[in-house]
Parts: sequence; C-alpha cells; structure tokens
Amino acid sequence: MTAVSARFSDVRLSAPRTVGIVGIVLGCLAFWAALPPLAARTEALPIAVGILAIAAGIWAWSRDERRVGGGAIAAGFLGIVLGVVAMQSSVTNLDQVVVWSALGAATLRYATPLTYAAIGGLYCERAGVINVALEGMLLTGAYFGIFGAIESHPWAGKWAWVIGILCAAAAGMAMATIHAIWAIHFKVDQIISGTAINFLAVGITGYLFINRYGDTGTPGNVPDYGIPDVHLAFLQNWYFIGPIFGQLNLMIWLSFLLLIGTYIFVFRTPYGLRLRSVGEHPRAADTVGISVYKIRYIAVIASGAIAALGGAYLSLGFVHSFNENMTAGTGFIGLAALVFGKWRPFPTYAAALLFGFSSALADRLPIAYGNQWGTLFQALPYLLTLVAVAGVIGRSIGPAAAGRPYVKQ
Amino acid sequence: MAEAPLLELRGITKRFPGVLANDKVNFDLRSGEVHALLGENGAGKSTLMNILYGLYTPDEGQILLRGEPIELGSTKAAIEHGIGMVHQHFMLIPVMTVAENIVLATEPRHAGVLLDYDAARKRVRELSERYGLLVEPDARVDRITVGQQQRVEILKALFRGAEILILDEPTAVLTPQEAKELFEILRSLKSQGKSIIFISHKLNEVLEIADRVTTLRRGVVVDTIPASGATEEGLARMMVGREVLLRVDKEPAKPTDPLLVVEHLHVLDDRGLEAVRDLSLTVRGGEILGIAGVDANGQSELIDAVAGLRPVKSGRIAVDGRDVTHERAKVTLDAGLGHIPEDRHRRGLVLPFSLSENLALHAYRKPPMSIRGFLNLRAMLARARRLLKEFDVRGGTPATPAAALSGGNQQKVVLAREIDGDPKVLIAAQPTRGLDVGAIEFVHRRLIEQRDAGRAILLVSLELEEILSLSDRILVIYEGRIVGEFPPTATEEELGFAMTGGRRDEVAA
Amino acid sequence: MSDEHRVSTDFELARSQDDVAQAPLEGGVPPSPSMTFASRVSGVSGILAPVLTTILAFLVGGLVIALTGKNPIKVYHAIWLGTGLNWFFEVGSYSARIPFTTAHMWFPWNTSSIAAQNLQQTLLLTTPIILTGLAVAFPFRCGLFNIGGQGQYLVGTIFAVWVGSSFVDLNPFLHVMLVLVVATFAGALYAGIAGILKATVGAHEVITTIMLNWIAVWVGAYLFGQGGPLQGSQPSIPISNDIADGAKLPVFWGLKLLQGLSIGIFIAIAMLVVYWIVINRTSLGYEVRAVGFNPEAARYSGISVARNYFLAMAIAGAFAGLGGALDITGWKYNIGESDIHASTIGFIGLAAALLGRNTALGVGLASLLFAALFNGTSGRQLDPSIFPPDLAGNLTTIIQGLVILFVGLNLGGLWLWLKRRRTAS
Repeated sequence: MTAVSARFSDVRLSAPRTVGIVGIVLGCLAFWAALPPLAARTEALPIAVGILAIAAGIWAWSRDERRVGGGAIAAGFLGIVLGVVAMQSSVTNLDQVVVWSALGAATLRYATPLTYAAIGGLYCERAGVINVALEGMLLTGAYFGIFGAIESHPWAGKWAWVIGILCAAAAGMAMATIHAIWAIHFKVDQIISGTAINFLAVGITGYLFINRYGDTGTPGNVPDYGIPDVHLAFLQNWYFIGPIFGQLNLMIWLSFLLLIGTYIFVFRTPYGLRLRSVGEHPRAADTVGISVYKIRYIAVIASGAIAALGGAYLSLGFVHSFNENMTAGTGFIGLAALVFGKWRPFPTYAAALLFGFSSALADRLPIAYGNQWGTLFQALPYLLTLVAVAGVIGRSIGPAAAGRPYVKQ
Repeated sequence: MAEAPLLELRGITKRFPGVLANDKVNFDLRSGEVHALLGENGAGKSTLMNILYGLYTPDEGQILLRGEPIELGSTKAAIEHGIGMVHQHFMLIPVMTVAENIVLATEPRHAGVLLDYDAARKRVRELSERYGLLVEPDARVDRITVGQQQRVEILKALFRGAEILILDEPTAVLTPQEAKELFEILRSLKSQGKSIIFISHKLNEVLEIADRVTTLRRGVVVDTIPASGATEEGLARMMVGREVLLRVDKEPAKPTDPLLVVEHLHVLDDRGLEAVRDLSLTVRGGEILGIAGVDANGQSELIDAVAGLRPVKSGRIAVDGRDVTHERAKVTLDAGLGHIPEDRHRRGLVLPFSLSENLALHAYRKPPMSIRGFLNLRAMLARARRLLKEFDVRGGTPATPAAALSGGNQQKVVLAREIDGDPKVLIAAQPTRGLDVGAIEFVHRRLIEQRDAGRAILLVSLELEEILSLSDRILVIYEGRIVGEFPPTATEEELGFAMTGGRRDEVAA
Repeated sequence: MSDEHRVSTDFELARSQDDVAQAPLEGGVPPSPSMTFASRVSGVSGILAPVLTTILAFLVGGLVIALTGKNPIKVYHAIWLGTGLNWFFEVGSYSARIPFTTAHMWFPWNTSSIAAQNLQQTLLLTTPIILTGLAVAFPFRCGLFNIGGQGQYLVGTIFAVWVGSSFVDLNPFLHVMLVLVVATFAGALYAGIAGILKATVGAHEVITTIMLNWIAVWVGAYLFGQGGPLQGSQPSIPISNDIADGAKLPVFWGLKLLQGLSIGIFIAIAMLVVYWIVINRTSLGYEVRAVGFNPEAARYSGISVARNYFLAMAIAGAFAGLGGALDITGWKYNIGESDIHASTIGFIGLAAALLGRNTALGVGLASLLFAALFNGTSGRQLDPSIFPPDLAGNLTTIIQGLVILFVGLNLGGLWLWLKRRRTAS
C-alpha cells in the first residue's frame, strides 16, 4: 500500500480531494449539459449543477485542498456562465458548431504541434534551461520540414516526408545549439537568447522561403508526399470514436508514443533522474559526479529536435504548405501548456488538449455565430495560463534551478 | 597502540586571493576513530575538508591514504577512494524521494534501461538497517525533518562505499534531541569500522563524541590532543587564542533611558523554526550592549526582527518608546533606528551606486535630499563631501561607485550614512568583518563616540575581542536564548564557554 | 518543546551559487532570474559594446545576403537610400516652408525631396519604437524583463481608436489630449496586471507579459474584425473607422495626406527626456535603480521592492500605450485586424532597448537605427530589382535577432572573462 501511495505520492486520494475533483467534473457538466446532444434548455440546470460544483469546491478548500477546491470553484463559475451563454443561442446553431466528432478530431490535430513544442520544452526546462524559443524552433521545423520534403521528392517519391522530418529535426537542433551555447557556455540570460532565436527563426525561414519559393509559394502537390494519415479501417464505423481516431495523421500517433516515452524516460530511468537533478539542484548533482554541462547541452539540443518535429507536422502533415510566420504564436501556447501542466507530460498533454479544443471550437464558431467569436476564443489559452501562473489554480513552480546559469567551481 | 593512520594530510597549504586559508596543515585520521576538527569561523576547517573531498586542490602538501599518496582532483575521485562528505548545507534535491537522492548517479537498473525502484528501495532499507539510520525511502526530502535529511546525506555517502566520513558542522541544524540521535549513529558507524572527521565549534559535543581533537586557528594547526582529559575551557582557549587586543580607551558609560526594549521575542527563521526564543533585552542611551554568540544561534533573526525586516511571531519591540513590533523596515528606521548590516555588499551598499547615492539610501526620501519627489543632487553632493571628510573615507569622490572602494572604506560609508541619520538606537552587526586593523580601530572609535553622544548601541559580533573591548554589558546568545549576562571584565574563556552551550544548564528560564 | 519540525517547501538546502545578491524578497517572492543580468545590461559604461554589436550584426546580415547570391554592398546602399538618412548629407540651398505658416525661408536642405519623404517615414516609425523601447528600458532598470511591450502598445492603439472615434465634436486640442491620456493610462493598467502579479504572488513577468501580449492581439483582432464591436462602417472590411479629424496630431513636415511627419516625434523625444529625468533625478528613479541593482540592500533601507515592481511595470505600460496612441493620432488614424496581427513594434522596441543599454540616449539612437532599417527595407522605399522587399523585411528581422543575440553575448562573455581572471589569481 505504501509503495503505491509513494509512487503516486502527489495524487493521494483523500475525501476532500475526491470531493474537489467531483466539483471540477460537475463544473464541466454544467456547461456540457447545455450543449448537444443533451442541449438542455432550462437555465436552472447549469446554475444548479454549477452551484453544486462551487459548494464542493468551497468544502474542499476549507479542508486544505486549496488547489483542487479552487479549481472546482472556478469550474463551477465557468460552467454556469458558459452554460447560460450557450442557452442564449438557438439549438440549431449549437448543433452546427458542436459536432463532437469533428471537434474531437480537430482537437487532436490542433493539440499535436502544441504537444511537440511543449514536450520539447519539457526536456529543456527540466534540465534547468528556460526555453522561450519554442516558437522559433517550431517555425524552423515547419520550414525545413517542407523544404526537405519538396527538395527530395524527385528521388524519394512518396517517402519524401521522411527526409523532410529528418531535415526539420536537424534544423531544430542547429537552432537549439545556438541557444545552448549562449545559455550554458556564455551564461547569457536565457530569456534574451531565446527571444533572439525567435527573431532569427522568423527572419531566416521567411528569407529562405521567399528566396526559394518566392511568388508561387510551396508546390501544391505536397499532400502527395506529406506525412501520411493512418487509416484504421476497423475503427471507421464505430460511433463517435471512428471519426476521431480512424484517420489521424502519423505524427499524432507518434505524439502519443512521445508522451509515454517521455514519461518513462524522465520518471522511470536513471537518465531522467539525472536530468531532473540537474534542473533542481545542479550543485548537488555535480557533487555526485554528474556532468551538469553535458546533460544541459543534450537536453537543449533534444528539445530543438522535438519542437521542430511539431513544426514539420504543421507544414507537412496538417496544412501541407508553408507561409511566413505560419506558427503565429503556437509555440507560446505550447509553452503555456507546459507551465499549465507543471512540467509533467500527461498534465501538459491535458492542457494541450484543452487549448487544442479551444482552437477547434474557435474554428467552428464562425459557422453559426460569425467570425468575431472565433477570434475572441483564440485568446482563451493565454488567459487560462495567466490565471494558472497567477496562482489561482495553484502556483506553477518549475524546476528550482531553471534560469540560473551553472558555474562549476 | 600506535597504528599507521588511515588517512594523512601533510603540509597542506591553500591560498585564496587575499587570505591564506590553510598554512602547512598536518592532520591524520586513524581507522575507526572519530576525530574532531575544531575552530572558529574562518579558521580554515571547511577549506581543509573541501580539499579532502576533491572540491579544491591544495597549493602545497600531500594526501596519503593507507600510506599511499593519492590525487584528489574531483569529488568523483574522492568518492572512489572511499571518502564521503556530509555538507553543512545539504546537497539534497528537495522534490525527490529519499531513495532517489541516495542512488542518484549510481542507480540500480532494471533491464539495463529502467530505474529499478524496488531494488533501490531494498538497498536503501538494507543500508539503513545495517547502520541504524532509519529513513523512509519513498518520503520526499522536503517533507522530512532536518534530522532525517541528515541521515539521508550520511546514507548517500555510505551507499557509495565511503569508509571515511566527513561531517561538516552536523549539529548546526539539529535540535539537542536530534543531535543525541546523531551521536548514537556515529558510535554505531564507528563500531562498524568507519572513520569519521567531525567539524564543529561546539565544545561540549566535541568532547562527547570525539576520540581526538585537532584545533585550527587562522589556518594553522594549534594542537592535536586526545579528547579524554581535555576540558571545554582548554579547548576554548586553543580555539580562540590570545590576540593583540585592540582595547579602545573609553570613559565609563553613562547610561540614560532605555531606548531599545525587546520583550519575550519569538521569531521564526526561513525554515519556519524558532530562531529566537523568548528573548528579552534592553539597551539604554549611552551604553553599548554586546551580544556574543556563535554564528547561526539566532542573532541574525533577532536583528532582522528589530529592524522590521522579519515578521515577529510574538513579543514586543520598542524603539525610543514607540512600539515597532509589526512595522515595516521603513517605519522602524524612521522611528530612530540605524542599522549597520552584517554583509555590506549584499545588504549595506548598492555597489554600482556612487558614494553620494549610497550615502543617501535612507535620506533620499525627505528634504533636503529630495524636494517633491525630485532629487536635490547638489544637497546630496554637499552632504556626501561632508560625510566623506568627516569619516575619512579614502579611495574615491562622491561620484565614485562604491564597488571601487576597499572594504574598510566601504564600511566607513555605511557607518557615515547610519550615524548621520541621527538614530536613537544603532545596531551594528559584524561591523568589522573582513576589515584590516586600521579600519577596525576606526569603527571602534566611532562606536564609542556615538555611545558617548547618548545613542543606544546594540553590537552583535562573532569576534570576542571586539565584544569585550567595546561593550558595557555583554549578553551571550545560544540557540535563540540569552544564556548569560557578563560584565566587560569577563574572560574569553567564560564567554566562550557560555557561547557553546556550557552555561545552558544554569539558565533559569 | 516539540522536536518535530516541518520543513517548508521554501527551505534552502544549499547556498545559492550566484555571487550577486539574490536573496529572497518580501512575501517569499522568488527572484526573477534575469535580474542579475539586467543589472549588468544598464548604464552608459561604454558606447563600444553597442557599436560593436551593431557592426557584427550587419556583417552577419551581409553574409546572409551574399550566401543567397546578391551583393551585400549594393543591397545595403539601396537600404540606406530608403531610410532617408542620406537627406542629411545632401546639403544645398533651398527654400522651405515654415511649419504651420505659409511663409518660406532659406534652408540648407530640400524639404520635399524623395530623401526627405523617406526621412519622414523613418522618423514616423522612430516615434513608437522609442516608446516601446522605453517600455522595456524602464523595468529593466528595476530588474524586470518586460516582453509585453507589444501587448501594451496594442492596448494603447485600441483605446486611441475608440476615444478618437468618439466625442467627435470635442475641441481638437482637448480631443488629442484625451486620446493620449486615456491610451497611456490603459497601457499602464494593462502592464500593471503583470506588475501586481509579480509583486504579490511572484509570478514571473516574462510569462505573464507574453500571455498578455497574445490576449491583446486576439481581443484586438476580435474588436476590429468582421462583426466586431469596433469595426468600422464597411461590413466586409475588418478595419475600424478613422478617428475624428480633431483627434489627429498636427503634421509639421510634409503633407498630411501623404503621411507627413506629425509632432508625435517631439512627444517621443520629450519622453526620452522624461525617462532620463525620472530615472536619474527623482526619488522614484532612485528607488527603481536601487531595487534593480540590489533588492536586498534596498529592502534593508526600507524601500518597498514590491511597490517598485508594480510601478516599474505600470510606467512601462504607460510608455507603450502612449506609443500606440501616437501612432494612431499621428499617421495611422485607424486600425485593422491584419494590422494587429502584423504589428511587431513592441519587439523592435525590445531590440532597441537592449542595444541602447537602457539609457535615454541609447534607446533614442537605437530606435532611429531600427526605424531606419525597417523603413529602408520596406516595399515602398526599396528598389525591387536590387533586393526584393519581402526578402528585405526578413533580413531586418534577422538583423534584429542578431543584435539581441550579440547584445547578450558581449556582456556574458565579458563577465565570464572577468570571472576567470578572478579565480585564476
């Protein structure tokens, strides 16, 4: 019993905690009940359920479960507001927008570049190097991915996407190396060097793109040799699951593997332990003979490769083209997901899904409600992260030594 | 019974810029003994042990292990030779478990790739039972007590096969109860063949646990004697020594009204533990009250609390009759408190600021230094010129950045600023730390001067000569309490004795 | 007495490895990691570093040009002509119109040449960059890294457009003043959010300001997009209406219809002076600098570190918001959804502040440099046969990135070198 509770020592289930979690679920229910397929029409319903959620949250809070309680209270409020708002709209409009299967698939698609960026950032920051250059690495991967595929298409045929991915990873690692040298060797402020990388990425990818593909843009036949979708025939006809999982891009499946792999690596292998020790207390790691510099270099360069893969997915697997600055802040949403998820793979993925959902919803809202609501919704991920960082949903504390250059005595 | 020593350090010399930390130090450790290394702060104990653990390389000298000379260029090398160190500030990762901390970098593997947590747990339990160091392998380090954390540190060293253990001030962070438990552990380790070097300045504990005691003073070995037959007074004398006392000529004090009153003060430190326990004192105008004590016995927290920089758990502080117990620093300073902080670089000065700007650190807010929010640079300049002359500060003009001055002159600047603020109460914390003789003399003279001007001065120092030379009354602080009051005619041995807990049985309440 | 102590999560298990003061601050606020660096980036100690940085950045930029098959000298020359800075070198004997009158007088420069018009554009661009630069410089002096200049600028533009389009019948002087004041205040409040979060819960200002940036972008895009509440009267175009004529700043050089230079540049330069005065001559500036250099010593002297964090951010937001207002009232007169997405003024200001080492003069000169570069490479000024403007725009971004990269390097390298000297002796 102690072994189990120790391994999941942060997820102890006590009564107040359970009540708090139930409160969060209730809050989500309050909103969900107003949406299709339930599409309840009485405003009393979300209000009632939401109040239950808030009550549960307050009770949990008073029993010292601040984070979960606060989350339940927030979820309760949000649920009431959103539920009532949803009821102001007609059922037909709701039906058009809230098509759960389409939303589900779109959520996964939007969440994937976020996932790659965030997981890349996870390795880097767990080693103690702050990485605000995820945006730049994502963009770099997007350009070099499609560049590699297009250029190799004549001889690689429909496997060009493999070359593309390799090219993207290499470019991402190159960018990350700059960040690594500046942050680790020159001990420059990591936020400044990260910001510089973002600028450089926009400029370099834009420059190379215009120079090479200038007026005409990337060729239109990219879908032929882009990253393929994985067709699961047996799933196609399953209700609800089918449309979501039946035809996902390969990179999305790989992202699941990446998540599991990252969890195992960081929390179940010796290398992961050393990685974390370097990020938490480099001096302690040094005194047991761990090479802080080496681990940090590897982590930063790896983060560049992983984030770039997310960019390659964006250009080669999702949009099938490249445009200047096409990532437009996705990297920062990824950073937000990482902070929101407290630098752990699965909570980070949950955050990425949440943000992906909000992007998917923003995509569909214009169908019934007009462009402007979709636009406004795009601000949601950032607002949520701001709230998280502000400590309402628990102060997000990263690896203790993140941001401080290590000076070996 | 003379056996060849297990470990020998011969003629170790280590220089740092400006200080000779170890001067031809000879030290040896016999197998299965507990050898205490005694000395004041700055005596060179930590440097010597850092050399032994591979963190520094000696400029001269040799290290022999079992008669063979060895090179200790890195901690890894030291670990390989069986030397383990338990640092005073633990090298533990707070968010990781006990087991994870212990096995870090030498982790047992499962199928070569995964971390075998079960094996790690098992080995930790085995070790812990073998040496009597009870720990819970799955507990997170930041959630266990300090005593348990120390056990983890010891286990870390043992896990890597340490035969020689260096413990650096291990009881500095422990309660008396935990210290007793530690000694049990050390005895057990001894009986299992481990050899222990025990760095400390606490005389009573040294006598309780050590077989031999080596005393260091200012980088030089004073003597190595067996613990049996030694007395605390004798050790104190070796540790503190006879120095050229800089006794200042002064008139007897003429104390007036109490200007600083502290009653039943309880203050918590950064860890949430009580650092000041039920402390009361009074300082009158025209007297210097000296507080003697070993570092980290609550002096810093006491000063912080009085100066309004640290919250007070309970008790009362009054400056010039005004209650400032829960007031912020700004209010307390305005009420008539001057504060010469103990670390002039971190707390006393803004090094990139000019002397003129540094001198204005309190006064900048009010006229004539600022008028309606605008700085009156001319007034600041004039004041700076006056103060620099009055306090004989050398090395710069008002426009020189404070970083360019020598330590002594920097301290003069701090003094000038605080004294010019015309405080009723002046706190001087380690006012002559790191200063040369001339500067020390200057500071002492000034403090006496201010005393004669009617100010109440609270002097906190680790240097006994300073306390004895300046104070009109002396209080000794030990583990957050005042354990004795002495007149300035007390001897250093008496003070040293009380400072290291010798008088604690006699404390009334 | 109980011997069971609970160790709090803030327990420092080992001494900090930094040798500069980074002790905990009030209320357990964790120190911003950029603070050590920030205290070293400011100050006039040498014009050498920025000059070297710029030269190096342009050299590498030239390399990029050469690598893609074009002649760097020719390209840079074309850019130079586009900036309008060549105007200063074209001395002759001309007749110029005195601003705001119909009188003419002798003037050594031709005030209506192509170069003159280019220079007007450059100076128009310099105006907001100075202000977003100050928005970074001021908090940097306090040890804070404000990346939120872009969002604060946008908030300023939003409020400028809103107030500028309302109150149409107001006296022009009052209307302009109202717009500027409201936008400044709005920017200050917006940045103040990050400031309060830093001062109270210790939220890292880099993360909060980045988030606020994007929130401002999307809220702005919503407001002025199709169907948005502030969209103009043309339903198919996502642009706001023009602000009232009374809310526009007077143009003193060139023609209003052709985007002549408004008096906004003087306001910006005045802000540089204000910045200098506040930082160097007021007690607020004194506190800000003290906190930026050594928060511990400041605390020991009774200075409230949290209060200064908040004020530094709020003042930064005020600068950026004013910059937004000056752009709107000076030449833009409206704002559209695409403008909001395309705007990078905040980040150019960041580069300018870093290059100018957070001093008034430095920020001013660096802003001019970046404005010139931006303008010289824009579609209007650059001859496409020499260098396509799209490429040139990206080149500018690359050079900006290089400047930021090398700015960090100079000091980092120097610090490392000094450290090695110290431990070697």
